[in-house]
Amino acid sequence: MSFTHLHVSTAFSAHYGVSWPDELAQSAAADGATALACTDRDGLYGTVKHLKACMAAGLDPVVGVDLAVFDDGGDLRTQLAGRVVVLAHGHNKGAGYRALCRLISDAHARTSGKAGGAVPVAVTRAELASRTLHPETLEPVLTVLIGPDSDVGRAMGGRRYLRPRTLFKQWLDGMPKGTVAAEVVSHLSAPGQPLSTAHAVRMLKLAAEHGVPAVLTNAVRYCAEDGAATADVLDSARTLKSLPELTAEPLLQPNGQGWLKSADQMLQLGKEIIHAAGYGTTDLARLLGQTEALADRCRIDPVTDMGWKQPVVPEAAVIGIDGDPLVELTQRCEAGIGRRFPGISGEAEAQMRARLDHELKIIANLGFAAYFLTVAEVSRMILDMGVRAAARGSGASSLVNYLIDVSQVNPLQHDLIFERFLSRDRATLPDIDIDVESAERHNVYRRIFDRFGAERVTLMSMQNGYRARGAVRDAGLALGMDDGDIGEIAKQLWRFSARKFREALVEKPELKEFAGRVEQRDFAENQQLDLLVDLTERLDRLPRHISMHPCGVILGDATLLDRTPVQPSGLGLPMSQFDKHDMDPMGMLKLDVLGVRMQSAMAFAVREVIRLHPSKAEVVAAGVHPVGPEGTGPDYIAADGHIDLNAVPLDDEPTYELIRSTHTLGCFQIESPGQRELIGKMAPREFNDLIIDISLFRPGPMKSDMVRPFLEHRHGFAPEVYPHPDLIPVLKETHGVTVFHEQILKTFDVMTKCGLARADEFRRALGNELLEPKVEEFFRKEARAKGYTPDVVDKVWGTLKAFGSFGFCKAHGAAFAVPTYQSAWLKAHHPEAFLAGLWEHDPGMYPKRLLVAEARRLGIPILPLDINKSQAEYRVERVGSGPDRGKLGIRLSLNGIYGLSGAELKRIVSGQPYDSLADLRARSRLSKPSIKRLAQLGAFDTLHRESGGAANRADLVQHLQALQNRPSKKGVEVIEGQLSLPLGDVELRNLKAELPAPTMVENVRAELDLMAVDVSEHLMSSHRPLLDRLGVTTADKLLGLRNGTEVLVAGVRIATQTPPMRGGRRVVFISIDDGTGCVDSVFFHEAQELAGPLLFGTRLLLIRGNTRRTGPRGISISASMAWDLSRPETLPFPEKQSTGQRERDQQLQGPLDGISRNLAITGLGS
Amino acid sequence: MGMFSEGVDVVCTPAGEPLELTWAGRHYTVCAEPVRWYERRQWWVEETRAPLGTGPGLVDHEIWRVQVRLSDAKAAPGPEGSLTLDLTRNIGSGRWRLLRIHDALRPQSA
Repeated sequence: MSFTHLHVSTAFSAHYGVSWPDELAQSAAADGATALACTDRDGLYGTVKHLKACMAAGLDPVVGVDLAVFDDGGDLRTQLAGRVVVLAHGHNKGAGYRALCRLISDAHARTSGKAGGAVPVAVTRAELASRTLHPETLEPVLTVLIGPDSDVGRAMGGRRYLRPRTLFKQWLDGMPKGTVAAEVVSHLSAPGQPLSTAHAVRMLKLAAEHGVPAVLTNAVRYCAEDGAATADVLDSARTLKSLPELTAEPLLQPNGQGWLKSADQMLQLGKEIIHAAGYGTTDLARLLGQTEALADRCRIDPVTDMGWKQPVVPEAAVIGIDGDPLVELTQRCEAGIGRRFPGISGEAEAQMRARLDHELKIIANLGFAAYFLTVAEVSRMILDMGVRAAARGSGASSLVNYLIDVSQVNPLQHDLIFERFLSRDRATLPDIDIDVESAERHNVYRRIFDRFGAERVTLMSMQNGYRARGAVRDAGLALGMDDGDIGEIAKQLWRFSARKFREALVEKPELKEFAGRVEQRDFAENQQLDLLVDLTERLDRLPRHISMHPCGVILGDATLLDRTPVQPSGLGLPMSQFDKHDMDPMGMLKLDVLGVRMQSAMAFAVREVIRLHPSKAEVVAAGVHPVGPEGTGPDYIAADGHIDLNAVPLDDEPTYELIRSTHTLGCFQIESPGQRELIGKMAPREFNDLIIDISLFRPGPMKSDMVRPFLEHRHGFAPEVYPHPDLIPVLKETHGVTVFHEQILKTFDVMTKCGLARADEFRRALGNELLEPKVEEFFRKEARAKGYTPDVVDKVWGTLKAFGSFGFCKAHGAAFAVPTYQSAWLKAHHPEAFLAGLWEHDPGMYPKRLLVAEARRLGIPILPLDINKSQAEYRVERVGSGPDRGKLGIRLSLNGIYGLSGAELKRIVSGQPYDSLADLRARSRLSKPSIKRLAQLGAFDTLHRESGGAANRADLVQHLQALQNRPSKKGVEVIEGQLSLPLGDVELRNLKAELPAPTMVENVRAELDLMAVDVSEHLMSSHRPLLDRLGVTTADKLLGLRNGTEVLVAGVRIATQTPPMRGGRRVVFISIDDGTGCVDSVFFHEAQELAGPLLFGTRLLLIRGNTRRTGPRGISISASMAWDLSRPETLPFPEKQSTGQRERDQQLQGPLDGISRNLAITGLGS
Repeated sequence: MGMFSEGVDVVCTPAGEPLELTWAGRHYTVCAEPVRWYERRQWWVEETRAPLGTGPGLVDHEIWRVQVRLSDAKAAPGPEGSLTLDLTRNIGSGRWRLLRIHDALRPQSA
């Protein structure tokens, strides 16, 4: 006998189900089942995984949902009357599945999409009834199971004996005939309790009494008994109550019997229920027979019911074509040739044409033409919005994409292989990712919804699973442990999976103290810690909730919402319940529209350039662009001064010079300490070098020491080595080192003649335990057959095996290198506008203050905050007076000042200019603390000067502080429309000059405290005398020193990294900024021991070490010791300090002293 | 009614239902159909470990409510002289313990 479980929650029932779909399916199949249901709570979150698992296990999937129902008698918006299971009928061309999707979307339609919303996920009985019948044939397409958790089941424990029957009758009256079944469940709990056999008997009898079929289920939450404890912890996490509290309520499952019982066990259970009901064997047969009959009705055909793996793209009419999509695509490619390859002819044209034919043939074979047109449409729409966009990912491998303007990379120029993107052996929709300006991402989403229609678009979701920190918090909550205690423990957990908690206790030094407490099991509290570890491990990876995926947008035709349930996202737009793993199986077209801050920063810079230089001639002059033979400047600058960044040629020498200088702070992908070092070593000369650089700077190649041989060969220190002359064309560009996926493909192809499509399949199999041996066998056999010696075959296979799994797709590298080049180009030609863009959008890895320091290093004036000149964003401004007169400077923005609200900011800007403080108060209605802070930052200095008052900033701040402490009295309201007399600022003019003016250190401290940026001068400047006495070398002087010179360097920390290293020993990289540039230092094991707590805790560092020359322009410090600069008594002065000097040092206060608020200053952390 | 935790030797039917038991040196026969259920344990208090793979018996235990009478008694059938006991079987060891004795003269119904 086999038994079909019709009520099963998977782990994707967040905070409820315990087991993964494949565990459940395998377990059911092993027991001889032929079908299995997945009925997750509130949605189809686990359904696609369930389908996949069932197909793999040879089961028919059954698909349903466990939904709450609103109480017809209560407040329809919030009061619930239990939960029911709704199953979709199958083999009806998707009618059942469609109804299920729509029903679930109904259930979510009224919710807010935000956590803790007042409206629960639920349907009314009327909604449920309306979805149960086929809209045309009126045949039932859904079955509703009224079980122990329904209002009927819950009423069985009450005192009103007739209540369950009344409620059951209401269901029968409210639902179309043939759509209801009674769900009989016994978890063998104590007699008379919920889920007891007695309750099951009553449900069975109700069904018999009303002639409704009854089915037997086990309301499964876990695959095996062991999962029951995890379910308890999940109940606690869901209800936010501890296990002792839940026991008291009582809200926990009555026992641990809700597992996927075997057919024998279910038969036994059925016997017990039938026996307790006083029925006979025919009744047992009927119960089980009805269960299987319903199961049969609900067997889903993944292909005909759910469209399994059948790609669906928007209708041709929607993308604006009326003919064959392939014809249209071909025509658009033709049109693109003129634009992308003007004047191409001869051999080059033949090659290009051959490639185009090749790609179109594959696209035609797969029927994906409409897909390409859709992506092109989205891409065009984004560009029409005036938003910067760049395709990235393997999509850059396609000439078609280049010709229809989806990608900016010419695949022929960079030798990119189409098969890496799409091939006839790979019939899944390929990924095309589009990077857009981060600030415009949501607008782009909305526009896509508008353009394609809300019925064809939805956002993709992602599952958020438990990681160590969340798991330990929820495990602690379940055990009723103290919040503070748990918080302390959680803080120590970082970057390991919860499943390895016990292992980590042994290994990680930061967990030593906790491990010690766990060891001492004698104390009750520590016993709990042992359990805490076990429960944390149990929660590992279990889904907690879904959220909007950071970039996925699903596009479909008008039937999209028949194929996926949707629910509101935090953004207000609907979000699918499916995640990225579900896209391909469900044939869904997903576009990744990723917000990239660098794109925003570059767009900002281009706008600033036009604003400052509103004509082509001005831009050419300002940016020192080539004027060209006609003297009119390059084509990529429009008459109005707009720069088309994508059209800038990739061979601009000043740009490469800037990159080689390693002063690449702010440049996309190449600003990190490690990248600056690599760039210094590599000295890129052309665009391909950038592609290689970006591809090399990955954990894989760095870890496996690919970089050193590459550099040695590149600089000619060592001869290039090729395993076989046949591979020279493949590996030439990387000097014999295999770096790119594309090279792996070609290596396979050259040595086995397998074709590039198969080669990509082989590449994917590398690193896969099962498949790799087969690939190896094939490779060895075929390569030998082609006459390669065993030696060569061995060597090449070794490379393939080692690098295949983490090599980098060159198309990715090429797509990444475009914004890298563009950002460097902007920095080289329009540094003021570019830095303003960086400050505004803050795209990088460093604290903003470092990019301000970079402006200072470049000699760009940093213009202080000014109540009349500062805007809500950073602005480039021509300096009107002073030593910098005529230069371009960057005016600080009013945005990002501590305590200044968004509304205040808006009011200030809309009211500018102000002629007095009174005017400012009256019109911007700023709070007193905000006015005082603006004064501290010098925003009123100009106003103050103009008023002719004799007092200084300190006097003003004191005055405002005094006002702030005084209770406010209602001032005379200025009547609307009546202007006060232009008296100038009486308040400022009459301020008494009493206090000494604030020192530079005080000003800088205020800036750091309130804006996290040192503006007036670099925060290290005030330390300079001390550093000079210590004999510190500045960053700009390091390059002039010999390799291995011992030096002292000092600065403020800007980055701390502990990347994974070969050999496993931790290496700590600390970068500091001293005002003349960055110093990158590396602490190996011994230096770490010596530096001890200074490694991670200090903001100002003095470091002793030896210079390490890393390339023509690269130098770093191998540290031997470090000190905390803010503790002068500990510093290694070369000679004895006089007592007076020492006292003066002790009293010396740096700008950072006393600031504890803002970690964004130093970039502490990882 | 009292709470106990005494070891009991139980003889079961092939289906696993208690048939006879030996408690404190005396033999009893089960004289009515026993009732069986599973009851939750406060495992987070009673256990010090709950690692994955602990298996059955962590969250609940099996309870049998049996009505017994002394095997050698010649008393007439009827409620007099019978005892209602709650037994529990440890899933791991298979050992039986006596959990509760109900008022002897008031037969319990489920």
